[in-house]
Amino acid sequence: MCDTCGCQTTKQGHQDRKLLEINKSLLAANDSVAQKNRKHFGEMGARAINLISSPGAGKTTLLEKTAELLSGEFTFAVIEGDIETERDAQRIRAKGIPAVQITTGGACHLDSTLVHKGIHLLEKELGKGSPGLIFIENVGNLVCPAAFDLGEHKRVVMVSVPEGSDKPAKYPRAFMGSDLFVITKVDLLPYFDFSIDEAIRCARAINPGISVLTLSAKTGEGMEGWMDFLKSESMNQDENVA
Amino acid sequence: MAFQHQARKVTRVVVKIGPFSGVVMDSFTFAFEVLKEDEELLRHAHLEIIRPGPRLCCSLCGREMDAESGDLSFEHNMLPGQLFSKGKRCSHCGQGSLYPSGGDEILLMQIEME
Repeated sequence: MCDTCGCQTTKQGHQDRKLLEINKSLLAANDSVAQKNRKHFGEMGARAINLISSPGAGKTTLLEKTAELLSGEFTFAVIEGDIETERDAQRIRAKGIPAVQITTGGACHLDSTLVHKGIHLLEKELGKGSPGLIFIENVGNLVCPAAFDLGEHKRVVMVSVPEGSDKPAKYPRAFMGSDLFVITKVDLLPYFDFSIDEAIRCARAINPGISVLTLSAKTGEGMEGWMDFLKSESMNQDENVA
Repeated sequence: MAFQHQARKVTRVVVKIGPFSGVVMDSFTFAFEVLKEDEELLRHAHLEIIRPGPRLCCSLCGREMDAESGDLSFEHNMLPGQLFSKGKRCSHCGQGSLYPSGGDEILLMQIEME
């Protein structure tokens, strides 16, 4: 009997057996394109922000409100990710913001190759101009998008009040890798049993360094904190060079 | 890779899956079985999964340690924010709260072929 694996082959039979040491991430292909995307964003003079949330948490609405509040301190463009339709890109364009739509045709998350395509589409749309910030609005999903680096500089995870404050506990991976946690639709707090304390406590148990903002794009409450975050991001171009 | 090395068959595939990777083991092994049926070269491959234990890091002293059983809920290979609600503190400095450290890897480690 073979003493390597216990099979019935004689030792002779295993002589042409090869063992390849690979030691590579199964996401290595995605990660290497993501690095290129990051460099590409940097060369465009832009910082990229990956927006992750469940469907309906208000990603597009927040971007629409952001467009309304722009006061010349920074500019932005949007790469919209959805399974189907151009709807979100149309909503953003209606606010005068350059936007391109990438549709995944069924996939529940964006990957770095799709975003790479999005960057080239966006460059066509922008011509020579360059926005300070580029949002990548991920497909609405709190699970899979968390595993895919898209080449962003900052990752923002959003939870809306009607979803419940247990989301960070139930979808920890999305919070582990994020820089900022935004709680949206806070104008609905009187009508739901959402505990801001619980949401923040659970998010920080997983990721103690995560920043938190609470806001309502509808009433404008808390929007100044969001705009300040974006303004400081847009000025934070140094890391791009490195 | 098997083609590159002109292998007749793959005999063993070793992957390392971190506790916080979000990979559901049952689904992963099921998918491998399906792949085996589809792919002649893999028909006799044995899948070996290395599962490193969860590591925790202290928010104050920064030291890393193994999670003890009961620290986290691992039924689905994920962790809810239970650590915090249990009020578990760092066993070194006794002060800091603990949070998960690393563990999100999905690595292809080795392929053995003939």
